[in-house]
Amino acid sequence: MIVPIEHVLILAGILFALGLVCVLVWRMNLIMLLIGIEVMLNAAMLAFVGGAARWGMADGQVFSLVIMALTSAEVSLALAMVVYLHRRKRTVDADEFDTLKDS
Amino acid sequence: MKLYLTLILLLPLLGGAINALVGRKLPRRVCEVLACASVWGAFVCTLLAFAAYRAPVTVELATWLADFDFTAGIALYLDPLSLVMTLMITFVCGLIHLYAVGYMAGEGSPARFFALLNLFVFAMLVLILAENLPLLYLGWEGVGFCSYALIGFWYTDPKNATAGRKAFITTRVGDTAFGIGIVWCFQLFQTESITQINQMGFLMPVGVITALGLLFLAGAMGKSAQVPLMVWLPDAMAGPTPVSALIHAATMVTAGVYLMARMSPLFSAAPVVMAAVAVTGAVTAFYGASCALVQRDFKRVLAYSTISQIGYMMLGVGAGAVTAATFHLLEHAFFKALLFLGAGCVIAALHHEQDIFKMGGLRRRMPLTFWAFLAGAACLAGLPPTGGFFSKDAILAAVWAKGGLLYGGLFGLGLLAALLTSFYTFRMVYLVFGGEGLKEVHHNPRIMDTMLLPLAILGLLGGFIHLPAFLADGWLGRFLATSLTEGGAHLSHVEEMVVEAVAALVALTGLAAAHLRYGGLRRAARIEASAAEPRGITAFLMNGWYVDNLYRILFIRPYEAMASFLWQRVDEGVIDDSLDRLADGLGKTGQGLGRWSCGRVSVYLLSFGAGLALILGWLAWGWLI
Repeated sequence: MIVPIEHVLILAGILFALGLVCVLVWRMNLIMLLIGIEVMLNAAMLAFVGGAARWGMADGQVFSLVIMALTSAEVSLALAMVVYLHRRKRTVDADEFDTLKDS
Repeated sequence: MKLYLTLILLLPLLGGAINALVGRKLPRRVCEVLACASVWGAFVCTLLAFAAYRAPVTVELATWLADFDFTAGIALYLDPLSLVMTLMITFVCGLIHLYAVGYMAGEGSPARFFALLNLFVFAMLVLILAENLPLLYLGWEGVGFCSYALIGFWYTDPKNATAGRKAFITTRVGDTAFGIGIVWCFQLFQTESITQINQMGFLMPVGVITALGLLFLAGAMGKSAQVPLMVWLPDAMAGPTPVSALIHAATMVTAGVYLMARMSPLFSAAPVVMAAVAVTGAVTAFYGASCALVQRDFKRVLAYSTISQIGYMMLGVGAGAVTAATFHLLEHAFFKALLFLGAGCVIAALHHEQDIFKMGGLRRRMPLTFWAFLAGAACLAGLPPTGGFFSKDAILAAVWAKGGLLYGGLFGLGLLAALLTSFYTFRMVYLVFGGEGLKEVHHNPRIMDTMLLPLAILGLLGGFIHLPAFLADGWLGRFLATSLTEGGAHLSHVEEMVVEAVAALVALTGLAAAHLRYGGLRRAARIEASAAEPRGITAFLMNGWYVDNLYRILFIRPYEAMASFLWQRVDEGVIDDSLDRLADGLGKTGQGLGRWSCGRVSVYLLSFGAGLALILGWLAWGWLI
């Protein structure tokens, strides 16, 4: 293997942190929040693939494929909900949707 | 015999149970008939048992308590002592039940009254006939409960209810000591049977018997209103008059004397106990007589005189003269019931006026009551040759026969009390019946007056059941001697005659003094003088030597202070407050934490991220170490 596993994991860690920061900070836009989640998932997939290459086992690659399928389903659902929410309040600001709180 | 004994107990219980359970639905007349019939039925059974009586008999009716070595069955013991007591109780109770029908005619809730009265008779008979101490204690507490409920019969007046509670609590003090004594008896003798315990006294050291005797004496003090637990009896007069006559004069209050007489074979081995009993009795006799001198309330005079007369009985038991004490107990039951019932007639006739200074002239208006009351008064004062004279002098003679400095002093005290007794008795007679009354007299039901007659006859002639030795051989003494050993010393006939003469002289002196002070025209002057506020010695005696106030300072105030401390400082201050603060703090914390759940997704995500960072940090920490 040309790329050492440590490098792959460090890259995955950086990607995950970027995604997390995007989720936490960019609350003005729900779509950016979803993109942050996607980035974090990609970081996880990268770690899986790196692990699969390191130990020569296909499990990690299978997991990546499953996550890809899962992500496409999730994103299509989530975007549909974003459209719906935008229709309700004419905004995509995450903080505007706080009806989960009682009273 | 077994059948008779069972019926003696079951009939009053049955009457009481029916009245208690369904009495409210029955017409008044049925309640009354049921109550009277059950008691008279018990009396008839007692007569049959008396006729069939040959020797002391123990009857085991059922098992009650049984556990390992401990057994206390429903066992009855009939010996001369319990037999004469049962005869007296069923007879006097029967008369008073009939009287109560007349007295309570206008009052409400007859079923409750007669149920309690019947229940009382049952409990009293259990007490008398019990063969073992736990069963006796059952009766002992049963009469205490009935007494409490009947003193407070008119409970809507808080004063009456308080008097009932006072009686109950005061007697409970003595009962606690008695209860300890009973349990200790089992520990010492491995049995609770009275007959067996009485025979096993010699097995124990005298010190143990003394301690046991003092515990029993404390119980007797409470129940029999002896110094220092006598404060409840004058207040107990708040109950209806038949109740006062039945429970607080004739029967229940003599239970302490009966207990000491019953256990006398055990305690006669301990001179300290006997001396304590005698001293208690003599002091009480004097205390009661002195307080009765100045009372204004008709029933309180009689209550103090009851305290005093029971003191005599205790004195007799303490002198070892169980026969004399029993004799006085029987006599006292007759004449004191008579006096109370007479007082009830007077009080009812005067529309519940109880102040003797506001009475008068009843001699002509209520002749039957007057003559019966006079007979009772003569017995109480101990004028010869009434029954009261013989019984009281039997006790005094026994005390004199005992000799020694202590018993000599007690004899003097008893004689002084006899003088006071005679004086206050005739003071009462002069004030109530003498002079000219202007009051309208209300007519009593005939049955009330009628009931006085048999009691008057028994009071006057009762002396013949136990005449002093120089006249004849006493029947009661011989009868009781078949099962009890008489501990008292014996006097020569001459000495006995001298003692009797002295006692008779003392009684007549009291009568003369009462006549000089209250007779004729001087009566009006006394009534005028009585309007003033009592001062000095009069106030002292009027308030029963201020014993109530003393107890208030010694026991009730500290108790109340402790209770309010426990209530306000400990309960409310520490326990409640700490819980309140804790709940408050938890509530505040919850509200503070509740701000987290603001509904904003970003905050949740941030918390989520922080939590994740925390867990990862912790894992990393563990990995690095």
